[in-house]
Amino acid sequence: MALITREYARDHLIHLLVLAALAIYPAVYHVLTNGGAPTGMVALLPRVETMVAVLYFGLFAMSFDFISGYTGYLSFGHAAFYGTGAYFVVLVANGKVPLLAPETPFIWLLVLAGVLAAVLALVIGTFSFRLTGVYFAMITLGFAQVLYVFMRDWEYLGANPRDGIAVTGLTEGFRIGVPGVDSLSVAIGQLAGEPIDLFGSTLGASTVSYYAVGLVVVVCYIAMQRIIHSPFGRVMIAIRENEARARAIGYNTFYYKLGAFSMSAFFAGVAGGLFAGFRRSVTPENGYYFLVTGDALLASIIGGFGTLAGPLYGRLFDEGLREFLSKSGSGGGLLVFLRDSLGHPAMETVVIGGMTVGELVETFLNGHAPLYVGIVFVLFVLYVPNGMVGTVRDRLGGTCAKQLPAWLSDRLTAIVTAIRERVSGVRH
Amino acid sequence: MIDQFVLVYADALGSFFTPEALFGVLIDGLAKASLYVMIASGLTLVFGLMGVLNFAHGSLTMFGAYLGGLVLVMTAGGSPTDPAALGGFFLGVVVVFGALGLLGGLLEWGLIRPIYDRPPLYQILLTFGLALILDEIARIVVMFYGIQPISSWQAALATKPAILGRTYDLGPTSVPGLDLFQIGFGLLTIGFIWAFLTQTRYGLYVRAGSQDAEMARALGIDVRRVFTVIFALGTGLAGVAGMLLAWDQSWGASVPLAAETLLPAFVVVIIGGLGTVRGTVVASVLVGMVDAMTTWWFNEAITFTGLPEMFLFLILVIVLAIKPQGFYGISEVGGH
Repeated sequence: MALITREYARDHLIHLLVLAALAIYPAVYHVLTNGGAPTGMVALLPRVETMVAVLYFGLFAMSFDFISGYTGYLSFGHAAFYGTGAYFVVLVANGKVPLLAPETPFIWLLVLAGVLAAVLALVIGTFSFRLTGVYFAMITLGFAQVLYVFMRDWEYLGANPRDGIAVTGLTEGFRIGVPGVDSLSVAIGQLAGEPIDLFGSTLGASTVSYYAVGLVVVVCYIAMQRIIHSPFGRVMIAIRENEARARAIGYNTFYYKLGAFSMSAFFAGVAGGLFAGFRRSVTPENGYYFLVTGDALLASIIGGFGTLAGPLYGRLFDEGLREFLSKSGSGGGLLVFLRDSLGHPAMETVVIGGMTVGELVETFLNGHAPLYVGIVFVLFVLYVPNGMVGTVRDRLGGTCAKQLPAWLSDRLTAIVTAIRERVSGVRH
Repeated sequence: MIDQFVLVYADALGSFFTPEALFGVLIDGLAKASLYVMIASGLTLVFGLMGVLNFAHGSLTMFGAYLGGLVLVMTAGGSPTDPAALGGFFLGVVVVFGALGLLGGLLEWGLIRPIYDRPPLYQILLTFGLALILDEIARIVVMFYGIQPISSWQAALATKPAILGRTYDLGPTSVPGLDLFQIGFGLLTIGFIWAFLTQTRYGLYVRAGSQDAEMARALGIDVRRVFTVIFALGTGLAGVAGMLLAWDQSWGASVPLAAETLLPAFVVVIIGGLGTVRGTVVASVLVGMVDAMTTWWFNEAITFTGLPEMFLFLILVIVLAIKPQGFYGISEVGGH
């Protein structure tokens, strides 16, 4: 028993390390921004609010990877499920969904948003899984775009559905925790979230949201990870590797694909619900549009297609770069950093064509993160086709969870031996 | 309330089946079909031959719109006369076709060629990344010259000559000149592609390569060079399509034009059957007609603004649900 537990702990060591790193991030960020850390480093660090976005969109990207990376069926209309989850939460809060009161606990809303998305996936999947390859990607895209246009122009949703809808009825924040018990749940949101006093220090609204959203994302990640490692998940991978063979062994691949699609839609719906709960508004463009799926694809490829955790890192990279090159530069960012470190005269230096350094940065860098994300993406497709996590996995010869602890302990032993030898050498 | 609804629809139905309305919808539909053929034909050629669904196609159309608009603005100046504007247009077609073709050839040679041996997904992903880069470059350049990237470029729209701006009495109704121009240009393009595919040696290579690239290579055809030439031709066509859109009030040169043309192009190419030019033409006519019809219904009776756009994607879903390979598609092409 003890042996099994130890092996289990070893398998999940890397999960625990990542969790620990994510858990201390707000504290690290707080210390570095308020302490005397070099401004260059602060400019590179994403704000805690941005990290919340990384978490919920990372969950969406993971759900996209769950179906696309593991079964090989590119779900190019995945935004349909994200948008549905997000719209559902806002519409319930505005009292626009029959049978559901605006005060319904947020946790139930998340579950219902997931279920709704899963049911929608069953409908879409029943039609779509008769197709393969590009045709599959395109029919799912078609479904998502029909929904996009519909939600963009349906006047029932709000005064101006083209500009999206916002929570108007409810003033307090959506609460994550035990439903109905205020002391065991916390409100999330940039403004609607509430600070919490803990061990003598105050956690800001963003930090509280970060932990609350992060908790849901981690639970969803564990669920997906368990599905992938279950016999069901093995069949998903078999479908990706050779569907005809999987069918020949006797698996009804249609139902496996439909099931996987529906599960992945569930998590996409939850991600959309978290997004709407934190932002308290959603537009057709950031919920249903096909470029939302494009962002998930981007995160998956950079992080590692067919690795469950990869898309989260991919999204972290994407959001980090976007914030670094953002126009406002409120979280530090490149422009603020240059202004602070180079000083006014340097920024006014004329470089080429009568343009100053400041103008050059303004023209070519600020607000143009998609250009650089695109370049990195193309470089990844060309030279790192397996993405960050996938490449590490290839190097180690197995999944990170299995191989990294062994690799780390090898290195550690080597270092310890080296030190011991040196110490004993000194002694002799 | 219900009575009123029925009355409005019955009324609209009555006025829909009049010669004027039907003829108007027909002309409008043909004009739209020509535009769809223009934006989709390059995509179809590239896909049929190489199996690469080019996500950057819309961005290249957008480049063509801006570049073509620039030629128009420079040749026509402030107050365009008809001959000057039309001359500028055909000069623009040559410039845009050449420049975009060159760009496309370079992109294929430098970026896509090295990864042909990978699964097709990676080529699609690469073009997706290219689309991001091209769109953002366009935004940087356009903003640098003080042009709003989101709304249509008015200076290019304003170079539309008077003979295309007025309407012509044709049969039971009057028809906008631009519609006729677009129909003519679309027919010309279809003729050009047809002649290229059936009358030239390169066209023969392309048809052979689409059917069996390996066999074609075994028979001594340099398939790689054919790939590059076709990719260049496809992007050139995309650019010319954009140039044609620069005069159209409902499109116009703007950065979002990339996504606005990419999606209809996908729809047309997919429901036609990936890779067949004939399928693309048939699908364009179908989509153009449905578009014109739903636009008419939206103008007359139905208040739902997104009606034509929603039908565009509904056609995609319905056709694929009934005929999984599109109208003329064969299962081998794109069967990955």
